[in-house]
Amino acid sequence: MAQPLVKKDDDRDDEVEYSPFLGIEKGAVLQEARVFNDPQLDPRRCSQVITKLLYLLNQGETFTKVEATEVFFSVTKLFQAKDLGLRRMVYLIIKELSPSADEVIIVTSSLMKDMNSKTDMYRANAIRVLCRITDGTLLTQIERYLKQAIVDKNPVVASAALVSGIHLLQTNPEIVKRWSNEVQEAVQSRAALVQFHALALLHQIRQNDRLAVSKLVTSLTKGTVRSPLAQCLLIRYTSQVIRESSMNNQTGDRPFYDYLEACLRNKAEMVIFEAARAITELSGVTNRELTPAITVLQLFLSSSKPVLRFAAVRTLNKVAMTHPMAVTNCNIDMESLISDQNRSIATLAITTLLKTGNESSVDRLMKQITNFMSDIADEFKIVVVEAIRSLCLKFPLKYRSLMNFLSNILREEGGFDYKKAIVDSIVILIRDIPDAKENGLLHLCEFIEDCEFTYLSTQILHFLGIEGPKTSDPSKYIRYIYNRVILENATVRASAVSTLAKFGAMVDSLKPRIFVLLRRCLFDSDDEVRDRATLYLNMLEGDGAIVETDKDVKNFLFGSLDVPLVNLETSLKNYVSVPRELAVSLCIVQCLLAYSHVFVQYRFKNLQTSLLILILLPKEVKSLPLAEKKAPGKKPTGLGAAPTAPTSTVDAYEKLLSSIPEFSSFGKLFKSSAPVELTEAETEYAVNAVKHIFDRHVVTVIVDASDAEEFTEVSTKPLRSLPYDSPGQTFVVFEKPEGVPTVGKFSNMLKFIVKEVDPTTGEAEEDGVEDEYQLEDLEVVAADYVLNVGVSNFRNAWESMGPDFERVDEYGLGPRESLAEAVNTVIGLLGMQPCEGTEVVPNNSRSHTCLLSGVFMGNVKVLVRLSFGIDGPKEVAMKLAVRSEDESISDAIHEIVASG
Amino acid sequence: MGLWEALLNWLRSLFFKQEMELSLIGLQNAGKTSLVNVVATGGYSEDMIPTVGFNMKKVTKGNVTIKLWDLGGQPRFRSMWERYCRAVSAIVYVVDAADHDNLSISRSELHDLLSKPSLSGIPLLMLGNKIDKPGALSKEALTEQMGLQSITDREVCCYMISCKNSTNIDSVIDWLIKHSKSKS
Repeated sequence: MAQPLVKKDDDRDDEVEYSPFLGIEKGAVLQEARVFNDPQLDPRRCSQVITKLLYLLNQGETFTKVEATEVFFSVTKLFQAKDLGLRRMVYLIIKELSPSADEVIIVTSSLMKDMNSKTDMYRANAIRVLCRITDGTLLTQIERYLKQAIVDKNPVVASAALVSGIHLLQTNPEIVKRWSNEVQEAVQSRAALVQFHALALLHQIRQNDRLAVSKLVTSLTKGTVRSPLAQCLLIRYTSQVIRESSMNNQTGDRPFYDYLEACLRNKAEMVIFEAARAITELSGVTNRELTPAITVLQLFLSSSKPVLRFAAVRTLNKVAMTHPMAVTNCNIDMESLISDQNRSIATLAITTLLKTGNESSVDRLMKQITNFMSDIADEFKIVVVEAIRSLCLKFPLKYRSLMNFLSNILREEGGFDYKKAIVDSIVILIRDIPDAKENGLLHLCEFIEDCEFTYLSTQILHFLGIEGPKTSDPSKYIRYIYNRVILENATVRASAVSTLAKFGAMVDSLKPRIFVLLRRCLFDSDDEVRDRATLYLNMLEGDGAIVETDKDVKNFLFGSLDVPLVNLETSLKNYVSVPRELAVSLCIVQCLLAYSHVFVQYRFKNLQTSLLILILLPKEVKSLPLAEKKAPGKKPTGLGAAPTAPTSTVDAYEKLLSSIPEFSSFGKLFKSSAPVELTEAETEYAVNAVKHIFDRHVVTVIVDASDAEEFTEVSTKPLRSLPYDSPGQTFVVFEKPEGVPTVGKFSNMLKFIVKEVDPTTGEAEEDGVEDEYQLEDLEVVAADYVLNVGVSNFRNAWESMGPDFERVDEYGLGPRESLAEAVNTVIGLLGMQPCEGTEVVPNNSRSHTCLLSGVFMGNVKVLVRLSFGIDGPKEVAMKLAVRSEDESISDAIHEIVASG
Repeated sequence: MGLWEALLNWLRSLFFKQEMELSLIGLQNAGKTSLVNVVATGGYSEDMIPTVGFNMKKVTKGNVTIKLWDLGGQPRFRSMWERYCRAVSAIVYVVDAADHDNLSISRSELHDLLSKPSLSGIPLLMLGNKIDKPGALSKEALTEQMGLQSITDREVCCYMISCKNSTNIDSVIDWLIKHSKSKS
């Protein structure tokens, strides 16, 4: 079926001047399509018109539904023609039109006739078209023919049926799965393509059943698959099985490795390469396993076929990242590839050499790269840049020549990704190699003098602001930065202003000059730039009105906002939605979000609102549970008080609590739990409790604290009145020993007086009925004292924490549903934040490592590494390793798990 | 003699070759595909599957080549009948004469179709099929029930046939051949 298309492409390449498709347009071709309706058909002319239609469709021309349907029905008339070529075109155009035209089902019967025709071409193509247009109900009608076709003697027909099966598996899996026997028979076919397609379909049918795939691989690797394409597929499936089973066979030989190694001696290069690549990609591959694969790849390196050289060098390049020593044998062959005509091969060869080479060869290689850097595509330039970055980190002494190389290529033409890779590399080198700092910063400065990418300019300006002031002569950067304010667009100007301010804050000698520059920025045409300049000027001038200390300024400029922005935004919106004495407009909120917390202070001081508490972050930590009570209303729960949106809870609660004078002395809210329902969802009174953890206190509705000796009741704040159908809140404060993660259980009772309301006046009557309502218990658990704060790089955090207060122990978790369930239970128990996506347990895995981080009460950072293992009868065992800044906290974490 | 005859026929067909195009419509299970088979090969089979869409068949009778568009009669295809009836020499409407329950539907489908402006003037051949079955309508009753008298804007003809027993099939073919001659 692809033949006409290929022919068309050839035409276009060879005879561009008089291409038959030159200047054709939709309207005219649709007119021409009327020839399909002629009583006397001209097959040749019809074929030409269909070719034009196909050309238009492939050029991205779209037909409206009416047009497509009209053309489609005209095309169906062509089924009367006996011409083979025309019929083939008809199949093609029906496939192209089938998504856009209505009622394509009309050709089903004609196709079914063709499907059983004696002409092989009709059979194969009719199957492909039919599967494209059919739906589930019709599929059952034609299933019989498709099964026959799979085992058809003609390989073209069998392949067509198998490929259709692969497509149909997406839409009607249960039907295709019934063809297993026929497909299995087709796998044994002698025709290469049939075997290939059959294997692909068979694997797709079984792909969700790990055992079945494993069985399939086991039986087929014994050697009935001869088609090279099918063998390549089999190698891929084999490595998939190896990946999934490697966990079980940690000792002894890797299963199926022998098969992969045998494939290295196959006749077909394709198979050899696939096997070699599969071996190099084995997880935890040993040098002994790697050697035969590297040997065949080395042979490919000197092949006369460019594609083999490319494939080999590309694979070796990947291997060099993990096993540089294994690749060194090929170094001589790769040296000769540096002058390869194909630039992609040369690039990969050089970057591989950079990874495997030693310090002495760096200069020579750099010279060679410089020669052809301009000839290769951006994509490969990025590969080179990354190789150079890792090389530089490996040989810090060579930074001078490597940095020069990077700055040279930075000046040349290139796309965004390429430039970004270079800038990122320079930034990393500056960070990691102190000697390279000044040199690198100057290169970056030069780059932003003529940089077309706003993103890169702002990134570099930000980086300059952090690193620049720490250099020996900060003043020399000012010129570059201020040039941005004069020359660039608003976004870059704004970040240049911020950078200037950072220099002003850090370098006292520059302050007066920075002031002059910032004042000039006050006349900028852009609001943001002016705002930033005003803010920084006020801050740096330091008259004490806005920011008290120099430290605050630096904290503002260099520190990050330790309140999640989403929470801040939501709580401010909540605040705004309630009318106060002073309305805060939304635009201020947005402004606030753009800056950090000192600025928030600044704005709010001016507005004289009580919201300041939200931003001030005292070190004290206290504990208090709170219960909010909903009105005696018939409404189900879920309509809690305003601040129950999950993301905004902490800030919103903090605002709420701090607005109550009795609680304002408790300091910063450490953590608020998710609402706990104390009543069934459909009861008369719906009560949700939220536990707020401070350092010393506890508040709830009406509490009988019989089961919690360590909590002492301090004060209560009863609710005076609670109108029908509206939520209200009440608090009970408990005191607990400071810093100790006290746990306990509270049994709750809702005591209230029901008063009738006069519907005419809206006033409550004097007398009421006293009533009690039993609520469920509220438990304060250890997890309430842990704040789930994530870390971006767990490994770094773990290493920097050090093993001083590490506590390791093992626990048996007993029988569990699955590993995932066990992991989630422990995470819930500890109330910590899973890092790096480790809370997700892959299907079928037998063991799992989960990384958690959090902040314990008292602002103590805690990191936890959990290793889970599951054995046959679902017994889960867990190894728990804790590191924290405090020994007692590490022990406390273990206690939580031991008692949970 | 036989050779001579054949040669003569061949020569005649060269000079007097004629073509006609027909669409076969009617409700499902009226016997359209069976009719095609009977006309084309003379064979009849009890075991037929419903036509999904259409079948195209070319039949040569004497010196006339007949192109038959045999359309599916299920409700989902009825809207597409009109597309295949445009510019045909005649519309052949097949009715199951023994299926009294569906006659009224068949009648309304027929009149709906004939009211389309694109089909005005195209002759209609009404065929009451399955007269071998007990309880099959007579020609007069069918004409009456299908409201053929009300069709005045075109030539209308009605035959009672049985595909199973090949009753009246010859007359149908004769009518068709005659009709193609009169058209050309």
